[in-house]
Amino acid sequence: MKMKKIAWIMVSAMAAALLAGCGSSDKEEAAQTPAPAAQGEETETGAEGEEEAEDEAVTLNVFAAASMTETLEKIQEMYADAAPDVRLVFNFDSSGTLKTQIQEGAECDLFISAAQKQMDQLDIKADPVVNEEGLDYVVEESRVDLLENKVVLAVPDGNPAGIGSFEDLGTDKLKLLALGNEDVPVGQYSTEILTTLDLLEGLEDANKITYGSNVKEVTTQVSEASADAGIIYATDAYSAGLSTVAEADSSLCKRAIYPAAVLNVSEHQEEAQAFLDFLQTDDCMKVFEEVGFIKAQ
Amino acid sequence: MDWYPLYNSLRIALISSVAVFFSGIFAAYYIAKLHPAVKGVLDVVLTLPLVLPPTVVGYFLLMVLGPRRIFGAWFMEVFQTRLVMTWYSGIFAASVVAFPLMYRTARGAFESFDETLAFSGQTLGLSDTYIFWRIRMPACRQGIMAGGVLSFARALGEYGATSMIAGYTPGRTATISTTVYQLWRTDNDALALKWVLVNVGISAVVLLVVNLLEKREKASKGSRASGGSLG
Repeated sequence: MKMKKIAWIMVSAMAAALLAGCGSSDKEEAAQTPAPAAQGEETETGAEGEEEAEDEAVTLNVFAAASMTETLEKIQEMYADAAPDVRLVFNFDSSGTLKTQIQEGAECDLFISAAQKQMDQLDIKADPVVNEEGLDYVVEESRVDLLENKVVLAVPDGNPAGIGSFEDLGTDKLKLLALGNEDVPVGQYSTEILTTLDLLEGLEDANKITYGSNVKEVTTQVSEASADAGIIYATDAYSAGLSTVAEADSSLCKRAIYPAAVLNVSEHQEEAQAFLDFLQTDDCMKVFEEVGFIKAQ
Repeated sequence: MDWYPLYNSLRIALISSVAVFFSGIFAAYYIAKLHPAVKGVLDVVLTLPLVLPPTVVGYFLLMVLGPRRIFGAWFMEVFQTRLVMTWYSGIFAASVVAFPLMYRTARGAFESFDETLAFSGQTLGLSDTYIFWRIRMPACRQGIMAGGVLSFARALGEYGATSMIAGYTPGRTATISTTVYQLWRTDNDALALKWVLVNVGISAVVLLVVNLLEKREKASKGSRASGGSLG
């Protein structure tokens, strides 16, 4: 009898765990539904296109910084109307990872980086100090500064640790700070800010920094309250509904410029250039500005 | 070279393999006696982590233990302690992932146990506890030891769920596996290689131990069959 009881306790514990998982993820599922639906439409139109005229459907592989996920998915829907023959496939990750994937031979037509560094590393015209490996992937005349983002200090709902400024990161209020890796642009900006404020070494010595592999991971760690605060982009904080307590100005770190370029390994450079031009139209800029991006000057 | 990841990996693997060792034996012993329907369901649930991708395990753990989730929030309120992003978060991940290995091997060992030995113990008036610890466990010793060692190896190598639930905080949550990934990402190949060699070394030793245990088991079975002593 005793073992039956134990078995029941175990079963109900497992069931509770499963239910808890499902229940609390409802919100995220709801937030994610538009994306798969949009993709479904895309594939459908793609399939139809193939049936009707095989040569016309073109697939564009767009590698974009993780912070552009929400906006580009919205623009994807708009572009389906503007250019029904082009199917957009996105790969969102940290710009450092994307740069490595391009270098390793991933099929990519258009690259949008969250910092000049990763674009420079692929641009033969860039300073060889940055482009150490002498990589030549960028179509020169296509390269353009597309957007500017703001680097902010975000806190979980209700700000449990009571963090009010970048300076607070050096106090005992903070137990754990979420940052991007050093190969993630937002991580590089974070390092710059903390170095300027002379806080980085202290935080590192106290083991108070957890490193995420792209800005979305850092954002989730903050929204789940796994960390007391995180340094992310204004746009990610906006998309995740996080409150920000401070914004880095030009005295703290470089401007976060997003360069974009068609790649010379692309077989569809014309279509890629057309999409890049489309991204710079007023309609698209409206989408970008809605979440906090600024048109790069 | 900062040895913290080795220390952290070893303590996570040790603690979780000890936890899994006892809970696995316990589960294997009691579940075998349950009604077939209940047994079937429990068996699937307990073995699932073996075949699920560790990221799925990590997702479930986060949904339960995160400071904004049911159990994590309660724990936070009562003990003012976070269950994620700490060094011991790795224990949860490693335990869940390693559990099926212990459970499966222990069950296999128990199934091959000759029940007539337990029955004869009962006819002599021995208690179930005595039979379990003094007759069943010694007879199944090698299989159970192998399960324990395998669980330790699996716990030591856990990456996916650990990186989700413990993150990567140098000097705090860093394990060998998350350190290798971090070093590779940040182009520090030389140091990554050192850690890879450390990990390969430990895992090779562990597997060697498993093989030795299996050999001894075969040898002792062989001697038993040929009428040798029961030891």
